[in-house]
Amino acid sequence: MAGVSGPESAPDPRPAAAPPSFEELFLPLVDNAFRLALSLVRNASEAEDLVQEAALAAYRSFASFTPGTNFKAWFYRILINRHYYRYRRERGRPVAVELEEAPELYLFNRTAELGLHRGDGDPAELLMRKMTSDHVRRAIASLPRDFRIPVGLFFLEELSYEAIATVVGCPVGTVRSRLHRGRRMLQKALWKIAEETGIVRQLTPEEAPA
Amino acid sequence: MSATDLLTCEETFRRLDLYLDRALSHEEKRQVEAHLETCAACAAEYRFESTWLEEVRSKLQRIEATPTLRERIAASLAGVADAPRE
Repeated sequence: MAGVSGPESAPDPRPAAAPPSFEELFLPLVDNAFRLALSLVRNASEAEDLVQEAALAAYRSFASFTPGTNFKAWFYRILINRHYYRYRRERGRPVAVELEEAPELYLFNRTAELGLHRGDGDPAELLMRKMTSDHVRRAIASLPRDFRIPVGLFFLEELSYEAIATVVGCPVGTVRSRLHRGRRMLQKALWKIAEETGIVRQLTPEEAPA
Repeated sequence: MSATDLLTCEETFRRLDLYLDRALSHEEKRQVEAHLETCAACAAEYRFESTWLEEVRSKLQRIEATPTLRERIAASLAGVADAPRE
């Protein structure tokens, strides 16, 4: 998990190394920052814009980052704030969001209904191998924003509840609840995509090849 | 292991999300895994959820940042570095 340090070592007799530069800390995050941005905005071009803006904002305020603390959490907070800022006007319009809560073990039960638990294959793999990265991206992007962000951060960076709470600025208990409910909603969203794209039909026993 | 160490299926199931989050204590994790060793039904549920999670993660990791993004970022950071400090 983020922030875990290695074993203690003897004090280094050399002069203390300079703290890592912004580029050293930030460049390893570019891909995941883009992936998270992609789940927040409408397309790759907007995702690129968002990451670039966030990188610039972070660079400009790098003096406020305390070396040795969680850079990922610090940067993602900036990225999410930039996202909120850009879409502030859209936030003003009340949107009736149908919070479609999903029960637990949603995909487990759907795949069991298809008979996928009976054979030798792993039912989760049997379903997921037919789904693409774009299906997954779309499913996450379809979640309400409050759930999209903890879910996105969990899958991309494996951040702890505390780190995610720092990023989104809400209590740890809220993060935990949204992450768990969000994962269930994600399963339901993925199933909907699997139905719409014919994947469920392909997996249905009478359609399966002999 | 004493009887108080053994989890029921319901107790095991309630810990599933925390298990997937790696948020269980060492002891709770041991108790869950002890139950899974003896209960095929719970083990199937845990295995499914863990596999699903890894599949989602690996598909997300396959999405690549657009090739121009790093160049754009490098260019804008260089622009800030050259500009007078705000």
